[in-house]
Amino acid sequence: MSMGHNDPRSVPRKEDARLLRGQARFLDDIEPPAGTLHAIFLRSPHAHARILGIDASAAHALPGVLVLTAEDFPHLAPLSPDLPLAGFAPVPRPIICTDTVRFVGDLVALILAPDAYIAEDAAELVLVDYDPLPAVVTLEDALADGAAEVHPQAPGNLLFQNRTATEGFDAAFAAAAHVFREDFSASRVATVSLEPRGCLARHDAGLGETTLFSSTQVPHLLRNTISTALGIPESALRVVAPDVGGGFGMKASVYPEELLAVAAARKLNRPIKWVGDRQDDFLASSHARDMRFGVEMAMEADGTLIGFRLDVLANAGAYPGIPFGSSIEAGGGPRTFPGPYRFKHYAFRTRAVATHTTPSGPYRGVAAPVGFMALEGMMDRAAAALGLDRAEIRRRNLLVDADYPFINASGIRYDNGPHHALLARALELSDYRGFATRDTDPDRLRGIGIACITEQTGQGSARYRARGLLRIPGIEAARLKVEPDGSAVLFVSQTTQGQGHLTTFAQMAAESLGIAPEHITVQEGDTALTPYGSGTFASRGVVAGGGAVITAAETIAAKMKRIAGHIMEADPADIILRDGVAEVNGVPGLSISIEEIARAAHAMRPIGMPPGETFGLDTTQHWDQPVSSVSAACHVAEISIQRRTGQIRVERYAITHDCGRMINPMIVDGQTHGAVLQGLGPVLMERLLHDSEGQLMTTTLLDYTLPTMLDMPDIAMDHIETPALDTLGGVKGVAEGGTIGAVPALVNAIAHAMRGYDINIRAIPVRPETLLRAISTKDSR
Amino acid sequence: MTDTQITLTVNGQRHSRRVPTRMLLSDFLRHELRLTGTHIGCGHGVCGACTIEIDGATVRSCLMLAVQAEGAAITTVEGLAGEALHPVQQAFHEHHALQCGYCTPGFLAATIELLRENPDPSEAEIREALHGNLCRCTGYVNIVHAVKRAAELMRA
Ligand code: FES
Ligand code: FES
Repeated sequence: MSMGHNDPRSVPRKEDARLLRGQARFLDDIEPPAGTLHAIFLRSPHAHARILGIDASAAHALPGVLVLTAEDFPHLAPLSPDLPLAGFAPVPRPIICTDTVRFVGDLVALILAPDAYIAEDAAELVLVDYDPLPAVVTLEDALADGAAEVHPQAPGNLLFQNRTATEGFDAAFAAAAHVFREDFSASRVATVSLEPRGCLARHDAGLGETTLFSSTQVPHLLRNTISTALGIPESALRVVAPDVGGGFGMKASVYPEELLAVAAARKLNRPIKWVGDRQDDFLASSHARDMRFGVEMAMEADGTLIGFRLDVLANAGAYPGIPFGSSIEAGGGPRTFPGPYRFKHYAFRTRAVATHTTPSGPYRGVAAPVGFMALEGMMDRAAAALGLDRAEIRRRNLLVDADYPFINASGIRYDNGPHHALLARALELSDYRGFATRDTDPDRLRGIGIACITEQTGQGSARYRARGLLRIPGIEAARLKVEPDGSAVLFVSQTTQGQGHLTTFAQMAAESLGIAPEHITVQEGDTALTPYGSGTFASRGVVAGGGAVITAAETIAAKMKRIAGHIMEADPADIILRDGVAEVNGVPGLSISIEEIARAAHAMRPIGMPPGETFGLDTTQHWDQPVSSVSAACHVAEISIQRRTGQIRVERYAITHDCGRMINPMIVDGQTHGAVLQGLGPVLMERLLHDSEGQLMTTTLLDYTLPTMLDMPDIAMDHIETPALDTLGGVKGVAEGGTIGAVPALVNAIAHAMRGYDINIRAIPVRPETLLRAISTKDSR
Repeated sequence: MTDTQITLTVNGQRHSRRVPTRMLLSDFLRHELRLTGTHIGCGHGVCGACTIEIDGATVRSCLMLAVQAEGAAITTVEGLAGEALHPVQQAFHEHHALQCGYCTPGFLAATIELLRENPDPSEAEIREALHGNLCRCTGYVNIVHAVKRAAELMRA
């Protein structure tokens, strides 16, 4: 049971009531305006083919049906995400295919009908003549000599490559007492937000304005991209993210369907609505984590780390995603790898490889869950080789207080991090020492695994510039307005897909305003209402969005104090804002209400404003987080494997966690639980399977199995709050660490359970049949 | 397309409509009656987001045609609360058992059915009863806690 629930900061969420009552407005809940055309996207059934012709005559014969192809959108330019930097192949992404399709699911035509059922009928009547071409599906296919090229601009199918080595690397490695090597790999997974993507575009020809409702994490980026691709001024576009049923990074990309819906709405002057189904989602929403990590680890004789050499590969799919580009996973892998350990020597080569598969994109933790499987897997291998306890080898290498501020081998700054305390407390919480006494059932093999991890959060503009991602501003903004009645509205440039921003940001603003969180309304997700910013991804919410909220709240609080000081003839520095009133420090009984201050600020009170003060209580503040903020955790997973079947069951699970000062521990715990689920699934079961031709075989929830309540354990959780020094309010980001920790902790626990058997656990998912083979080979001897 | 006349009761209110025979019950509720609290997560009977109650038992509304509900009494998420939240809704709120809320209507329906049949379920019984509903946000941890709490509230 989590501790966070009993913390007074854990106020229940403002967003719940309407969700619980069925009053939310998800994309498909918005009433379609009169005249709406319902869209179906016709997708390529081939991984690679030339389009010879499209015959839509039979579909056109149905009442009210329209079929639009690339010919109908001659001005839709392909999109380019990446800067022309060294290492990037300049590969654009077409919004609708003209002559070539490059993955099963690539967009070929847009079918429109007055109702969704008729659109489905029409889709079956469109005949496309394809000339299939050879396809590359796996990393091995794409890198083989003479492999078919996905794009002529990317020779050898390399979309992005980078390599680097720290000074003196070779000499340090050559002098090492031990060098351990291993290759780790992860299967490709889908995000599967429970709500698939969808959008509704509406054009007002008289005003020349278009509104797009989309189930997205990035309304401002989406508006900016549409504006570029379609040549519409941003001021004539409004993008609204209604309630969004989960995103997890997948909805942080801009997709062709959104651009085509806007283009069609403007072309036809009719509202266009598209609601993706589960199959659309499997085929055309970004895939993730199809990666390999080749690792060499150098150590002193006593287990002290010297350094790492990595060879990282990421299967990026057919096109770079927008806006994160082709380097999202291949670049993120080595950047996030170093974790909580002290080592100086680091060399890596990393490559993003094009294949004829669905484009990859961000998914909770990006490359880090796989990277930490590699890093923490190496720590366990070294412990075994050196005869050390697995906790002990970590203790010898975890950063200590004297190391801070610490710049890690990939250049990331750590202001602090209680790694030893996290490990020690996690061992207690999980009763690591008592493991052997629990290992009693002869029908089950039991194992326990540890993972010490870091989570890089709250990236600002400098990091996105360094990564060559110009489309991502990296800043956030908040507009705070106190109305004449003293109630407040906070407009934040981010969006929420379940993270509880409406509650957390209200709590953050309340701290300096002295207005209760329930009187602070938070609005997000509408470009017409909220100031420009980046959106919600990469655990930036509380650091980047929160930084803007804190700044805005402090700005308004300072002004309220000046007004209150003027009215009460006191020094503004002596004013305290608390519980809806302004009090004068040291003068009991002298106070005025925030409502009175607000009335004064709006010229509705006899004693008005201090001389020179402007009217209103309304400010917009931006925040650019200068350096990333690093959260940390230690996970301990205990699992058992049934000897007869190879089935894995998670028996116990403990997490200790530091995300700096917490605003709402209940929400932090919830984010962590959910993140664990998205690490557990890919370890135990989830994988997208293609056949050798590039056909995706897993396009329903029957084929692509997800963890249920029977697979997830209860989680014991404890926090060691270590306020950040490099952020406003001492906060650090949260929400990806659970995934980053769950993958290595579970993989290490499985490997530990299989310690007596001839098997090397280094690929996920770990299939029961693989375990069973190893178990029966030995047990039958 | 052939249309059929149907009459049914939803959240205590009678409706009589002509609907295309092929229209799914979930679409009928969502788009004809505008009761959009019932959600579609898969459309093929796996995720449970579309779970509603028909004549006292839970059903996946994405797997049924509207015409098959002729004469039925249906409860959707919109019919659970009065002024105050239903105890199961209250427990979900207190225990942070929802994040995006997309799966929630289905979990509420499944929980209400469980607690009607078994007012004091063990953790294992809760997991067994609700494992047909998928949630991608919560890791189920707080849903299990909330169901226990809901059982307490309903027994009180
Ligand atoms: S939508 Fe009906 S079970 Fe998923
Ligand atoms: S709360 Fe989002 S799917 Fe369950």
